[in-house]
Amino acid sequence: MKIAIEELAGCSGCTIAILDLHEALLEIVEKAEIVYAPVIMDVKEPPDGIDIAFVTGAVRNRENEERLKQIRKKAKTLVAFGTCACYGGISGLSMLDSPEHLIQHVFRGVATTRPDASLPQEVPQFLYRAFAVGDLARMDYYITGCPPKEMYLSKILPALLAGKVPALSKKSVCSECDRIMGSVEGWKLKRRHEGVPDREHCLLGQGYLCFGAVTFGRCGASCPHSNVPCHGCNGPSLDILREPCRDIYNMMIRRIADLTGHTEAEIEKEMYDVAHTFYPFTIGSLIMEDKGISKIRDLVRERSR
Amino acid sequence: MTQITISPVTRIEGHAQVRIWLNAQKEVERAHFSVVELRGFEKFLIGAAVEEAPRITPRICGICPTSHHLASAQAVDQIFGVTPPDTGRKLRELLTHAQFIHSHAMHFFMLAAPDFLIGHDAPASERNMLGLAKQSPAIARNAIEVRKLGQRITEAVGGKPIHPSNAVPGGVSRPLEEGQRAALLTMARQGLAIAEQGWELARTLLDSTDLTLGAVETGFSGMCRDGKHSLCEGTVQIAGKDGKPLGSFTGADYVQHIQEYSEPWSYLKFVKLASGEHYRVGPQARLNLCREMGTPLADAALKEYRARFGAYVQAPLAANLARYVEFLASCERTIQLLEDPAITGTKVREPAGAVVNRRGVGILEAPRGTLIHDYTVDERGFIEQCNLIVATCQNSWAIDRSVEQAARGLVRDGVLTEAAGNRIEMVIRSYDPCISCATHSIGRKPVAFEVLDAINI
Repeated sequence: MKIAIEELAGCSGCTIAILDLHEALLEIVEKAEIVYAPVIMDVKEPPDGIDIAFVTGAVRNRENEERLKQIRKKAKTLVAFGTCACYGGISGLSMLDSPEHLIQHVFRGVATTRPDASLPQEVPQFLYRAFAVGDLARMDYYITGCPPKEMYLSKILPALLAGKVPALSKKSVCSECDRIMGSVEGWKLKRRHEGVPDREHCLLGQGYLCFGAVTFGRCGASCPHSNVPCHGCNGPSLDILREPCRDIYNMMIRRIADLTGHTEAEIEKEMYDVAHTFYPFTIGSLIMEDKGISKIRDLVRERSR
Repeated sequence: MTQITISPVTRIEGHAQVRIWLNAQKEVERAHFSVVELRGFEKFLIGAAVEEAPRITPRICGICPTSHHLASAQAVDQIFGVTPPDTGRKLRELLTHAQFIHSHAMHFFMLAAPDFLIGHDAPASERNMLGLAKQSPAIARNAIEVRKLGQRITEAVGGKPIHPSNAVPGGVSRPLEEGQRAALLTMARQGLAIAEQGWELARTLLDSTDLTLGAVETGFSGMCRDGKHSLCEGTVQIAGKDGKPLGSFTGADYVQHIQEYSEPWSYLKFVKLASGEHYRVGPQARLNLCREMGTPLADAALKEYRARFGAYVQAPLAANLARYVEFLASCERTIQLLEDPAITGTKVREPAGAVVNRRGVGILEAPRGTLIHDYTVDERGFIEQCNLIVATCQNSWAIDRSVEQAARGLVRDGVLTEAAGNRIEMVIRSYDPCISCATHSIGRKPVAFEVLDAINI
């Protein structure tokens, strides 16, 4: 069994997540041979005949796209690994600006740069937008998570290597959360840094934008468990993935309306910074953008103008 | 002109390449360490609610997410005018040491050690941590065990081992429970035993370290506190090539001391001192600038390090040992923090509310060097300006010059063998560059390791 890890536009956190199997990794490499993984080994190009390849990161330039196509050809089974691969991830936020503005700003517009600084030229240019890998190539499996968590990878990877697909929860973060709803009265939106949430009750019910209801689980609800609202880093919940009329934004608004008795219009007025709060992990996904009700297209148009 | 390319540079974080240009006599004309990716966090954070920054910026880097998380939280504390209570402060320091344990252990044992323990000229397919696991299973198991300590602490205190979330404005979001503390302390004691044992291995590299490979001369910058090595509270000291102090900063005054510039052949920004002098950051810089580590085993190791390399060290490969000295210090400091009764205190957070200051500058030492997150916000706390100064940009001139210096000695008759190419990569690895951090990147342009004939450029 030959396995490979290809990295596109990302942070290497998904490769670290595999190292975070710790001693269990030694058992895996007894059964499977890692033939290509540039962060940890010196093989410079993926060889032919890969049985399972994990592709991490999003596609943001033509080179990413070529590497994705190459690994698709060389691997019998291709797995989109992590939220960037599945939905574009944080890199997708770069779509809020045109590539020209982005480069001008980074090299000339911050406190320690000069307005006449040279701009990188002998470097690859961006594609017109970010893509999730599944937007451009056929995937056999998707493993979401920013990055995927050890407790699930330790079940998923050995099974995949044995040619099996493990049966795992497909529920939302809320299903893994131990908080109680309680009664919600006088609901008012709070910014996520305001005050200190109580540990017993639903964070959304307390007024914080907690995305547990619209986010795919398999993290043990680790953020709500730590008294921090969910940011949706595992990507959308299954109902949103399946139903064209359901999107992160409208399902959140509907959820708050159900919870509070306020009208959806009232709630929408209170929302702030929709790009960074609702879509930080999915803005680069064509599938998510293509939903007729998604806000992504408007956000990109508004900012990159 | 012939061009030799090593791409991607492997066993480093992120995507980079080396390009070497040869003249008609097949001698090295020039060489560059070039990074061909850009992500643009400094731009796309504009408009974000600033309290989101500590959640978004860890995604700059999956190896040192905690450092970004904490630098960002520090900046946001200032914006909301809140100071973490004693326990919150200590939990954040514990997170910093956990970050160092994981990152330094990974770099030393998993990324750099294969060059020393398996051999820098061993076949490329064996020269990695999996080869190490076959050749020296005990070392590999110990490396895994001690790195796990770092990740387990980050998970317990930070919420998640990668991309932690618990540093919130005013402190941390939850206290450490007694059961967790006890379990982590047991692990930490085992971790320190492994680190101490590992020093026996690491110190054998003191004498074999090649002091000439990739040699450069620069100034240095790093944090210390009353002369002691310090990672998250202190003053950033700057010294010149000769070790002479050139100034210091603690906050927004950093802009008076450093400047960024760029080159057309790389997305990696370069940072130099206001005087125009180049400098380096990271383990070697921090050891050059502090008097002592402040913990017994690390101080004993520092003494050996200095006996071999001197008190002010320029040789890039010495950084591998400097990193180990810091790794020991973080293991020791972790135990001290976990033994401190205040670590399980329940007052971990000062509540935050409205914007108090329009600007916040978080400065700390990340494993690879000084990290600065500088945010300016509007009156409602939405980011108007964002500047991120990361370690690898501050090291980029030195890395680039080291690459050229090494290439001049390693290209023979216009040919760079695979093993010689790896020697160049060893110099790069000694800096432990983090490309995702440095460019907040979007993609890469890898080319196979090859010699291309007669490319006109």
